Amino acid sequence: MASMDNSIIKGSLSKENRHAAGWTAHNMSSSSLRKKSDLTLVTKVRNRYLRMLLTNLQEVLLGTKLFVLFPAVALAIAAKCFNFGRPWVFALSALGLTPLAERISFLTEQISYFTSPTVGGLLNATCGNATELIIVIFALIEHKVDIVKYSLLGSILSELLLVLGCSLLCGGLVNLTNEQNFDKKQANVNLLLLLLALFCHTLPMMFRYAGESSGVTTEATLQLSRVNSIIMLIAYSAYLIFQLWTHKQFFEAQEEEDDDDLVSEESAVIGFWSGLVWLAGMTALTALLSEYLVGTIEDASESWGLSVSFISIILLPFVGNAAEHAGAIVFAFKNKLDICLGVAVGSATQISMFVVPLSVVLAWIMGIKMDLDLHLLETVSFALSIFVTAFTLQDGSSHYMKGLVLVLCYVVIGAFFFVSRSPNGAVNLDIRSSMAEIFRV
Amino acid sequence: MASNELLLAMESGNTKGKEISRHAGRTAHNMSSSSLRKKSDLTLVSKVRYTYVRMLLANLQEVLLGTKLCFLFPAIPLAIVAHYCNFGRHKVDVVKYSLLGSILSNLLLVLGTSLLCGGLANLNREQKFDRKQADVNSTLLLLALLCHLLPLMFRYVGKPDALTAKETLQLSRASSIIMLIGYFAYLVFQLWTHRQFFEAQEAEDDDDKVISEEAPVIGFWSGFIWLAGMTAIIALLSEYVVGTIEDASESWGISVSFISIVLLPIVGNAAEHAGAVIFAFKNKLDITLGVALGSATQIAMFVVPLSVIVAWIVGINMDLDFNLLETSSLALAVIVTSFTLQDGTSHYMKGFVLLLCYIVIGACFLVYRMPTSQAHVGVKLSAGEISRV
Repeated sequence: MASMDNSIIKGSLSKENRHAAGWTAHNMSSSSLRKKSDLTLVTKVRNRYLRMLLTNLQEVLLGTKLFVLFPAVALAIAAKCFNFGRPWVFALSALGLTPLAERISFLTEQISYFTSPTVGGLLNATCGNATELIIVIFALIEHKVDIVKYSLLGSILSELLLVLGCSLLCGGLVNLTNEQNFDKKQANVNLLLLLLALFCHTLPMMFRYAGESSGVTTEATLQLSRVNSIIMLIAYSAYLIFQLWTHKQFFEAQEEEDDDDLVSEESAVIGFWSGLVWLAGMTALTALLSEYLVGTIEDASESWGLSVSFISIILLPFVGNAAEHAGAIVFAFKNKLDICLGVAVGSATQISMFVVPLSVVLAWIMGIKMDLDLHLLETVSFALSIFVTAFTLQDGSSHYMKGLVLVLCYVVIGAFFFVSRSPNGAVNLDIRSSMAEIFRV
Repeated sequence: MASNELLLAMESGNTKGKEISRHAGRTAHNMSSSSLRKKSDLTLVSKVRYTYVRMLLANLQEVLLGTKLCFLFPAIPLAIVAHYCNFGRHKVDVVKYSLLGSILSNLLLVLGTSLLCGGLANLNREQKFDRKQADVNSTLLLLALLCHLLPLMFRYVGKPDALTAKETLQLSRASSIIMLIGYFAYLVFQLWTHRQFFEAQEAEDDDDKVISEEAPVIGFWSGFIWLAGMTAIIALLSEYVVGTIEDASESWGISVSFISIVLLPIVGNAAEHAGAVIFAFKNKLDITLGVALGSATQIAMFVVPLSVIVAWIVGINMDLDFNLLETSSLALAVIVTSFTLQDGTSHYMKGFVLLLCYIVIGACFLVYRMPTSQAHVGVKLSAGEISRV
């Protein structure tokens, strides 16, 4: 889901007539998971149409190393139809979504080869987190606002701490003797946006603690959140303009150094229409599985004895981020930190500045009251992870200690949500009254 | 309830341990304390043996890097012994407060005074330091801050206190283990894989006289016996301190939290403090930072989690939850210091701001006159109250 911003990068394509939107950090990262499909068998088929069809199938279905997880999609549907235990449906849907998430970003990329660079960049930037967006929409339909908030927060945390931390750690250990440098301008732009997002989350939360009774503040918090969401969307559009038009050079540095090994994968492997059809199909499947996922999360939580907040903050993000995670680590091994940062910090920015406000606006359209108030614990974790990441990326160089500290922070936060076993709703109410009480005293 | 002795003994254990292993790689910290030491009249001798000592030193640095770790091992048994001397009285709050006070005073007071004095003394010179070392320390301090914040927040999620107490404790213990892992990785980082970050400062000092103090002046076993003796005395004195802290607080009219957050650390850190200021005067900011930040990191990432673990071993419930006021002071101190050290240069204004921050925090604890034990109970009650409502 990360793909977005990197996509941005696409600008400088002109080289080799790379059609379309150039190659974003994100694309590169997912492509490291893709295997070169071996077309020899297929070419033996005589019938031309049949051959094309088979090639197409092979590219789409077997083009990723995650294809072994595709059976989980079928199993999840079967489990649902035959009324297996609901926790099973949950687990299988989660597994099935992993390759689907990767494929959707692959297809978006393929389609962007047939458009102009800028349109391609925009397309990648908006559909990059399609899987998360779909999960969010289904959770909203079922009025599970807390799951929406938690899973988005979890994605941001895992990108900032886990994905980035693992990449820096592995990269640092492998390149002990090399200097590890990256371009800090790109990272700083992203961190600035993350701080804006933090600000937008903190104010609605503080509002609740300002001491008036919650009846009065609820409406005001909601309005404030909606205004903040619109502001965040404006900021995100400005960020896209910044990245795609006016300051392309910030995001381009990383391209040149990678041209060597990746160019071969540059051309589109499937046609525009077939890409579009596949995309529609994959999206439908994703939607189906997301519906299962959201519907069964409480049962899974009960039968596994894990709190809903732990599942949605820690486990769900793994589903959507597996591909980026692997990709970022691979690039860190090659000492290409700019791409790692583009993937990890870039996706965190995209989720917090685009997916989160978009879901608030969607909820508004659907008449659901979703605000930006993440609650105390979650906001504190969010704030601290942004600070730690910001300080880590300040000096433009990296070593394994930085990665290790980030991973340890993630472990602490994980342990924290693991022990906090409170039902969502109850917590929410309690805090409200308790904090009001505190501040009045 | 790990008592204060535990803490004091641990700290002293560390320092002494380091001194004993001084020959094994110099740390900034050693150098700073050595600036307080009287040079026993070795100049004559050392001139003769200069080359020899240097070789020996180089040798030891390679071979005995591991012994730097030995400053860890005296701390642990001593802490436990010190603890057993005092069981029955479980003054967890004093432990927490004085550890927190040490971190604050290292970050704000020691660093602030050094940067201020250094800045004033070197007004027309450029004052630069290597920010990589400072960055590693700030990141670790932020991790420590996260570990302190989460248990605190936990208390505010609104469930009755009885329910969260156990979870907070589990969380604190898990966090402590994670912090210790972080600290050991930091040692590996500092001593093996990235020594160059921390060596820059050594190179520039090799020329002047520090080197002449490098050779062990006493033997290993005699050093060990002295160490044991000193530790025993420190344990005794700290028992007196802990035993009389309430009486002192009453008769002076100063709150226990002020005594343990502000006064105790000033006593404990006097040596480092003087050393850091002296090196700042000489415009050797790397050493100053190494001392101030290094000991803050050491206390936050090693002594604090170790006391939680030791308390766990002896069956005392000590968690990482320092109350709201203390944790927010810690958070602001860490953030202010990190921002101050961002650009790799220094001037007296930076030092002055840090110093003022410390004075504000000190003033805050001076007016905050709650007797410790009641403070703790009081907070608990109010939290319970809160969640019940």
